[in-house]
Order: sequence, then C-alpha cells, then structure tokens
Amino acid sequence: MRQSGDAHCASPDLINSPAKRAPKGTPLYVHLPFCVHKCPYCDFFSIVGQNEDHEKFLDTLLAEAEIRAPRSPRTIFFGGGTPSYFTAPQLERLLAGLERITGYRSSAEEVTAECNPESLSLEKAILMRELGVNRLSVGIQSLNPATLKFYERPHSPEEALAAVDAVRTAGYERWSADLIHGAPGEPLSDIEHNIRQVLDLGASHISAYGLTYEPGTPLYASLKKGAFEPQDEDRELENLAEARRVLFDAGLNAYEVSNFATNGQECRHNLNYWRNGGYVGIGPSAASHVEGTRTGNARSLGRWSRDVLDKGAKPAWSETLEPIDRLGETWWLGLRLAVGVDPAEARALAKWEGPDPTEPIRERLLEQGLLKTMENRTYIPESGLALTDYIGKQFLSPGA
Amino acid sequence: MDPKHIRNFSIIAHIDHGKSTLADRMMEVTGTVKARDMKAQLLDDMDLERERGITIKARAVTIFHEKDGETYMLNLIDTPGHVDFNYEVEKSLQACEGALLLVDASQGVEAQTVANAYLAIEANLEILPVLNKVDLQHSRPDEIAEEIENSIGIDATDALRVSAKTGLGVKEVLDEIVNKIPPPSGDPLDPLRALVIDAVYDEFRGIIVYLRIVDGTIKERDVVYLMGTDKVFEAVEIGRFSPKMVRINVLHAGEVGYFISNIKSLGDVRIGDTMCMNKAKGIEMLPGYAPPLHMVYADFYPTASGDFEGLREALTTLTLSDSSLDFEPVTSDALGFGFRCGFLGLLHMEIVQQRLEREHDMDMIQTAPTVTYKVRMKSGEEIEIHSPGALPDPDKFEELLEPIARISIMVPSEYVGVVMQISVEHRGDYIRQEYLSRNRVQIVFDVPLAELIYDFYDKLKSGTKGYGTLNYDLTGYRADNLVKLRVIVNGKDVDALSSIVHFDVAERRGRNVIAKLRKDIPRHQFEVPLQAAIGGRIIARETIRAMRKDVTAKCYGGDITRKRKLLEKQKKGKRRMRSIGNVEIPQKAFLSVLGEGEKKK
Repeated sequence: MRQSGDAHCASPDLINSPAKRAPKGTPLYVHLPFCVHKCPYCDFFSIVGQNEDHEKFLDTLLAEAEIRAPRSPRTIFFGGGTPSYFTAPQLERLLAGLERITGYRSSAEEVTAECNPESLSLEKAILMRELGVNRLSVGIQSLNPATLKFYERPHSPEEALAAVDAVRTAGYERWSADLIHGAPGEPLSDIEHNIRQVLDLGASHISAYGLTYEPGTPLYASLKKGAFEPQDEDRELENLAEARRVLFDAGLNAYEVSNFATNGQECRHNLNYWRNGGYVGIGPSAASHVEGTRTGNARSLGRWSRDVLDKGAKPAWSETLEPIDRLGETWWLGLRLAVGVDPAEARALAKWEGPDPTEPIRERLLEQGLLKTMENRTYIPESGLALTDYIGKQFLSPGA
Repeated sequence: MDPKHIRNFSIIAHIDHGKSTLADRMMEVTGTVKARDMKAQLLDDMDLERERGITIKARAVTIFHEKDGETYMLNLIDTPGHVDFNYEVEKSLQACEGALLLVDASQGVEAQTVANAYLAIEANLEILPVLNKVDLQHSRPDEIAEEIENSIGIDATDALRVSAKTGLGVKEVLDEIVNKIPPPSGDPLDPLRALVIDAVYDEFRGIIVYLRIVDGTIKERDVVYLMGTDKVFEAVEIGRFSPKMVRINVLHAGEVGYFISNIKSLGDVRIGDTMCMNKAKGIEMLPGYAPPLHMVYADFYPTASGDFEGLREALTTLTLSDSSLDFEPVTSDALGFGFRCGFLGLLHMEIVQQRLEREHDMDMIQTAPTVTYKVRMKSGEEIEIHSPGALPDPDKFEELLEPIARISIMVPSEYVGVVMQISVEHRGDYIRQEYLSRNRVQIVFDVPLAELIYDFYDKLKSGTKGYGTLNYDLTGYRADNLVKLRVIVNGKDVDALSSIVHFDVAERRGRNVIAKLRKDIPRHQFEVPLQAAIGGRIIARETIRAMRKDVTAKCYGGDITRKRKLLEKQKKGKRRMRSIGNVEIPQKAFLSVLGEGEKKK
C-alpha cells in the first residue's frame, strides 16, 4: 500500500505540474463519497458498496491533502456521500491526518460534517466533536415514513430522531437539518410538521429543498417513465411559500434560496460559495476555486486516485473565466442570497474596471419588479424568489 | 481523344438503389481510384450528401476502360435521385448520349425512376436497364424487368444483372456502355462550343466551371467568351475529374472537364450557357436548360438584424452551386428584413437551410413553406402571391387559385386503400390506377400542391411503411374556397405564422396550429394568449401560462461550473428565436403551420 508521504514525494519529477497550494485560510471541502444506499434523487458523486477499500481511499485523500489542502483553513465542510458512513477509527484517522496537514483546529471557526441517521452513532458524534468538528448537518429529509420510503432513505423517522438525540447528547450547539419537500402525494401539512419537529429538537439551521428531478438520476428516469405523478408547479410554489411561512414564524431568516437560520447561525462555509469566494475541494468530484480558476476532480474513484497518486493531484478539468464573465457569475451566485449583491464589491471581486455591463440588466429587472435595491445592495424580492434562476441567468456572460 | 472512343453517360436511379456504389465500383474496376483510396460513395463530396446518402449536386468523373485492346474514355455525369432535383437531372442528361437505368432488383421501379427515365427519353438518350442487388436472396430480377417494361416501355429482356456491392457484372456494364451508347457527335476540328453543365465555388481558385465540350477543343491560355453572360475569360487551368481534379493541356469535343479562370464574380457564370472562342464569328448557342420550376417558397430572416448582408452573401454563394435556388429581399412586419426563397421542393428547401447553417454559419429563422397562389382581382387583373401575408383583402378579389399537382404514387398493392384514403383526406381527385406487375400498383391523383407540402408525404411514408414513392408534375391552377388563416400572438397578427387553407378544414388546422404553438413557444414572465382567426372570426384560442417557477434548489461549490454552463446554454438557446412584440418565438414554432402531428425528420 502506498503511504501518503510517498505520493507527495513522487510528484515533483512528473511533467504535470502539481496543483498550486491555495492561500492560507482558504476554506476546505472534503468529499467522502460512500453511502449505504444511493438515494434516487441524488446527483452528487457517491458510491454504494462494501467492497471498496476505505483505508486505501483515506490514504489517497490524505495524499491529496498533502499536495493541495490549504494551511489553516477558515472553514471545513465534510460532504458526500455520507461522511458518517466511515467507522469511528476511520474518522479519527481522517481528522487527525487533516489536522497534521492543515492545523485546522486552531484556525477553523466552523467545521461541519454531513451525517445520516442510519450511520451516526453517539460514539462517532462524540469522537468528531473531540477532533474539532463543531457543526453537524443531519440528512433527515422527512419524518413521514411514506415519504422516506419514496426517497428510498435507509432510515426510519425514529432513527432520525435518535440521531438528533446523539447530536444533542454529544454537545453540538450548532446543527442543521436537511429537509426535502414536494414528494408525489406528500400532504402540504407535512411541511409544517417536519419543520416544527426539527426545530423543537433544537436545530438552529434548516436547509429546506424543493424536490428536484435531476437528469441522470434514477428518480428522473422513473418520472420520465411515468412511474408516478409529480406535484404540479402551482403546488410546488405553494410548498415554497409554506416552508418559508413556517420558518419565518419560528424566527429563522431565509438567508439563501433554500437555507434558513436563526441569527448568526448561517453556514459560513456555504456563504463563501454564494459570495463567489475561493475554496479548495479534495476527494473525487470535488471542485475548487482558487484565484479565479475553477478546477474539479474526476467523478470516478479510480481516475481520481491515479490523478492524485501518479499525477500530483492533477484536476480533471479547469476553467478560468474572463473578468466580465466572472462578474456575471458573481451576480448569479450572489442573488441567491437574501442580502443580494453590492455592485462595487462584485466589480472589485471580478477585477472588472470598465463601465458596469450588469447595469442595463439590473435596470431592466428592476423595472420588471424582479430586483430591488436597498442602500448599496441589489437583491431579489420575496415575490421574485421562485424565478431566481431566470433572474440569475440574465447576468451570465453579460458581454455576449 | 477521338470522339469515337468517348462515351458520356449518367445513371438514373432511385435513392438507395445503389447508384453511388455502382459508380464507386466502376472507378475501382477500371483503376481510376486505387482500392486503398476508396471511401464509400466517392462522388458525394458534400458532407450533407454523404450523411443523407443522397446526391444533391451533379458530379462528374472520367474513367478509362479497356475493351478489345482499345481504350475508351467514359465520362460519368452523376445525377441526383430525389424528386426535388429534377432540374439538376435535366442538366446532367443534356451532356450525355446515354443513361444507365439502375433498378434495385429486390425493390422494383419507383416513381422517381420513372420520372427520370422519361426525362432521359425526352433528351433522346440511349437507355441501358441495369438490375442491381441481384446477390440479395429476395431479389426478383425477372419480375422487376417486367415492371420496367410495363412502366417505362423499354425492352428490358437483356437488362444487365449486377451487384454493385460485390462487383458482380460491373465490367459487363462498362462493356455495354461502349457497345450500346453512341459516341458524341461533335467534331474536334470545328470551332469551340462547350456547354456549362455545372459550377462550384472554390475559396482559393474562384469558380470552377464544369464543361462538356460539344465541338472543337479548348487549351490552356485560350481566351474564351461566355455567350449568355457576355464575359471573356482566359483558361488558367483546364482538366478532368478522376475523380479529383487533374490538370491536362487540352479538352476535345465530346469530353467532360473543368475550366478555371480565377472567376470571382458570382454573376459571371450561368449554367446552361455556351462557351466559345473569344471573337469567334457565327457561333450558334447550344440549347439552354429549361429554367427551374419553383414549387415552394419560404422566407429566411436573420436572427440578429446585423446578419442581413451576411445572409445575402451566403445565398448568393449558394446559388452558384445551386442554380435552381432563387431569392429576393422581403420585409415582414414581425420579422424585419429577410429573403423570400424559391425552391424546387421541400427537401431542396431543407438542404438549402442546412447548407446555410453549416457552410455559412448562418443563424436564421425560416418560415413555413408556401406555394404560389394566383389571385384574380375584381379589377380583372391577375396577381401571383408567394406568401399568405401578401393576400389582398377578400373583398378586393374575385377568386383565389392554387397550383394542382398530378401525383403518381407507386406502392405494393396491399396499400392501395391507404393511399386512396390519404389522397381523399388531402383533397385529391382520383385519375387512374395501373398494375405494373402482379403486386405493384401505380395510382395517379390530382392534389393541391399546398396539401402535398402540408403533410401528404409524411402521411404516405408512414401509411405505406415506407414502401410508397411519389413523383409529381404541376398541371395548372384551380380556383377553390380558400381563406387566410390568421395567427395572433399576444394580440399581434403574425404574418409569418399565417397560412392559406381550404375553408372546410380551416377550423381544424387553426386548432392544430394553436395547439402546436402552445407547445413550441416557451413560457414567459407573463401570460401569452394565442388565437387563430379567419377574417375577424376567432376559431381557436389557447393561453401559454406565465412562467412562475425557475429556481435551482441546491447550488454549492461543486455545482457552480456545471449549473452555470446549463443556464448559459438555456440562455443561448434563445438566440434562434425572434421577438415579436415582447414574445420570443423559436424557429420550430414557425414551422408549426405544417403537418398534423409532430413534424417528423
């Protein structure tokens, strides 16, 4: 078995220039792809199977971290897949390894791990907390057994509640619940029911997603085959409004299209994505954004391993946007946030110095009532939220 | 070469009956092309041709064949095989003394084959029937030979039996060409007369003119005169096709080759023109070709207004290699400046559209095709209109006349009932029916041309499981109870979506158009009402609901590039649209006037 240090030493003599290390403090994303079962709606890169060599995966991941992970990251996010799928000793090895490489325990203000009810034990929750994880995001999705069955979730509502119990017992002050609304046949009242139960248990953050049929997923294929009747658009709009109503009533703010938090409890790692900031992602399929260049790892375990071990962590793809396109991207992403975008900040971030090409776009949308301004910031008003993509794409490639 | 050793011929065949394969095999057998250089269907050198397996432009190749110790020069002038390209067929036949009538021995005679064979008979060509694909198990050469005799009226008892695929019988075909097809009659010592049979534009060398030398000879450096266009050129290079262009010093009477003179102006070369020596006296022009008959018209509009001149340039370049295309500028209230184009038929239209997009990178909107109507005004005047928008007010004219096509359909006899029904549904008048052999029938109908382009052909193909083939001729005009079907989008009349229809079917067609538009026009931020009307009477209406939800639930670090590209693509998709008022209408909506169901490709 190749040791992590070997890979690092092997890389300099290769022609492929190894990835440049991002500046100190850059947020770090770690993709842990393994799952008990692939949920049919999920379009993230994930792997189901007991046969994969998880120790070898961790070797490669730590080798990649040695090459690319930023020192002293401000935030870390363990996503997946299902990070809690790893055993306690594996989690310990991963976190200790990353601490050795990055020193995050003294730098990171927020370290989040996604976890799923079927695999999050009290033991793992405590262990992760002891190793510096200070925020958990629990994949609850619904507390209705019929809906969980439709989503093919490998856990029951009771197991979800038990997992939350473990989170609380382990002493996490910050934890979030993922919920999905809009399953075929789901009663509207489930939205309020799910949100209230989760909030009653002490969640300070909720991601409430409308069910999306992503091309390429099994759920999309079933939909196209006519296996079920999806909810219609009117109902989906009603769902969005209902989720917002319940969350507002409970005192949470909608700080992003699908994300809600009590004051100060927003996910700082994710905020950075929508502010078009830089970040480094390690693990298969993970994306990075460093100094204006976006890169991504291979969506295949084998290819990613070879890229890391044999090619000095060479990304599978890379793109560098021109300042004008970066400006458009900044607007598109920023408008997902309730606070919207400050035009001057956006120009500075994109290093754009000419006349602002987004101005006529903004004016048109302001006229249509799809944008509003307050002080320096431009944002999408409540009434335009359901058209966020339509509004956002007007800003893409503003020079074209 | 002595004209006695020259044979000029073409091959008449239906699509898929193996013409290009036979041509390939002839080149291979005679060593014109070495086996290792063969790529299937050498003659079809346009991308589109090879993709669709049909020949669009006539092409030429010179083959040398040894027979009884003597060398013969055989010039094969390729002809297109689709009903739309009859005009090109006529041009090819003018330059030949004989034609191979190639028929698939498992399929039989098709309508197109008959039509082209008649063109060859009219041009006084010697016709050699050839039965292809005799290697196939289910081939029926005897029966098909009988079909040839019954449908075309030529003796097919000695028809050659070949397999272009395996090469069986190909040498015999070459021998028969030498034996049966007469040599050209011109004299190399007479003053030069050459027929311009085709022309293609080459970016670097200018226009390449295809010539059939009728009398005399032409050499490099000769200064020649084009009688029709009144232009003088010096022969910079001449040569023959083998099948690539090969430079030679001289072309003699009876031969086929090319002529290059760095001709840049597109108007200088007219197909069918006669070339002679400059300052030659008393030269009689060769009979020119019949002008092309435009069956359908459609408008092209650039999607970005700045492209108008680019579109003109592209169309001008296309007319050089496709002299049957005709165009003139038009203005539409809804679509601005564009061009009305005349086509030989629907396939021709589709090919022109694709060539404009592929070869000239044009982004444009094409309106649904329409036929030429005649309007008898109350003042007694008769006018022609090429678009529904040009139809005068109903109280200003007496009668509206539409072109009638006599269509001849060939089908296996079990489909007679289906064909009858399709024809009646398309306002067809039955003329006659004939059995070509025990189980193949030719049925003749008179059908309005507008019905033919509406969806007759699609219906025939699907109704006869692809076995039915059809050919048509225009027979004249007939008055009928025709009305203009108006289409109103968001309160605005859109002429480009209107059509002229028979009163009896107007309501149904109106509902169809509106239903299809509802699917094809994307949702906007507001409701878009759609209406169809005859005069002031609304006969169909639907509403495109406002788009209310367009939002991505999840967008995190790993999603950004992919989702941005997706949205950019959606945004780009809008480029092939035109805004009418504040409604964006995509290209395919402009074709919704055609056909009952989804338009099939």
